[in-house]
Amino acid sequence: MTVLEYILLAGLLICAITAPFFRRLLVTVIVYSTFSLMMAVLWTLLQSPDLAITEAGVGAGVSGMLFFLALKKINELKGTSDE
Amino acid sequence: MSEPHGKKSLGERFVSWVNGDGETKDRTLFVMECRMPRPPCRREEEHRKLEKRRVKKFLGWYPLAAGLICVALVAILVSVVLAMPLFGHPDNPTNNEVPTYYLEHTEEDTGAVNAVTGMILTYRGFDTLGESCVLFMAVTSVMILLWQDVKNTDEHDLQKLAREEEIKRKNPDVVLQYAAKVLTPFIFLFALYILFYGEESPGGGFSGGTVLGGGLILYSCAFGFGRIHTFFNSRIFNFLRLCGLLLYAGLYGYYTFTGANGLGDPLVSAFGGLSLPIDFAVGMVVASTVYGFYAMFTRGEL
Repeated sequence: MTVLEYILLAGLLICAITAPFFRRLLVTVIVYSTFSLMMAVLWTLLQSPDLAITEAGVGAGVSGMLFFLALKKINELKGTSDE
Repeated sequence: MSEPHGKKSLGERFVSWVNGDGETKDRTLFVMECRMPRPPCRREEEHRKLEKRRVKKFLGWYPLAAGLICVALVAILVSVVLAMPLFGHPDNPTNNEVPTYYLEHTEEDTGAVNAVTGMILTYRGFDTLGESCVLFMAVTSVMILLWQDVKNTDEHDLQKLAREEEIKRKNPDVVLQYAAKVLTPFIFLFALYILFYGEESPGGGFSGGTVLGGGLILYSCAFGFGRIHTFFNSRIFNFLRLCGLLLYAGLYGYYTFTGANGLGDPLVSAFGGLSLPIDFAVGMVVASTVYGFYAMFTRGEL
């Protein structure tokens, strides 16, 4: 279990550091959602499943969705079928 | 403001104040718009050179300032963390008799096996009531800002909406639709499981409501707003979120004002503890909030 925890921690650090450096905001939002997903798994390993469910629902699901909608409103989703 | 309309009663004056009558209009913007644009006093070349120098200067100090602010923030945060008590130290102020009491007495006091749910919904239910109110107010203010009705929608917006619907109907996303068809029943079922078994197993109102809202979002993403209106329209939305909050406030108010007797109270023990009905109420508020955000941001109506 500790190996998995260290892998997840490294993933969290990588996500957090690289997120601001992508040129496309879409990729940034996806990396941010990945961060939340890994955090959810980590919460489960830290024995707080209540938080894990909320983190997976809000962090990985709903807030990413809202970010995508905001990007669509400011026409940042280039290269998708909307254009 | 002098009284331009003669004498009025207090009520009339209040009404006209609320309506904004009698205020002198702020004409600053209007005057600025009317003013002629300034004649170009510099030659084009000189202007361009100045602009270039300005941009160069800006780009020179901008990364420096950003770095400085980041370093200052990190320093503040690290100093705060260093000043905090050590993690897990036995003499920490959090290690007093309260958590022990909660862990030992939650089941007999509240009827909830899951101590977290029992704690946040019964011992600290007032806190959770405030959070539900925050969610309610958040979705209300988003609706105030983004609701598109007859008054703030013009032809252009309507045409854009119709065009998007047309595009969506002509090119349906087959992968998304099939995935949604398979997944949504399970998502809804899982959400209800989290919601109603919050007192026995991990979960509760907030997480269950979020998953339920996520399922609604997936469904309306895949099949459009026409399909979802068959079982979830704006009246049901408003009913759910209002009833959830009122149910919570009523039940918790009753529980508090009758002395917070835990399971000794006849109404509370009839429910088998407060956790189940309050979980249900919080779940309704959270699910409608999450779905309301999505609907407001995409379409401006429910």
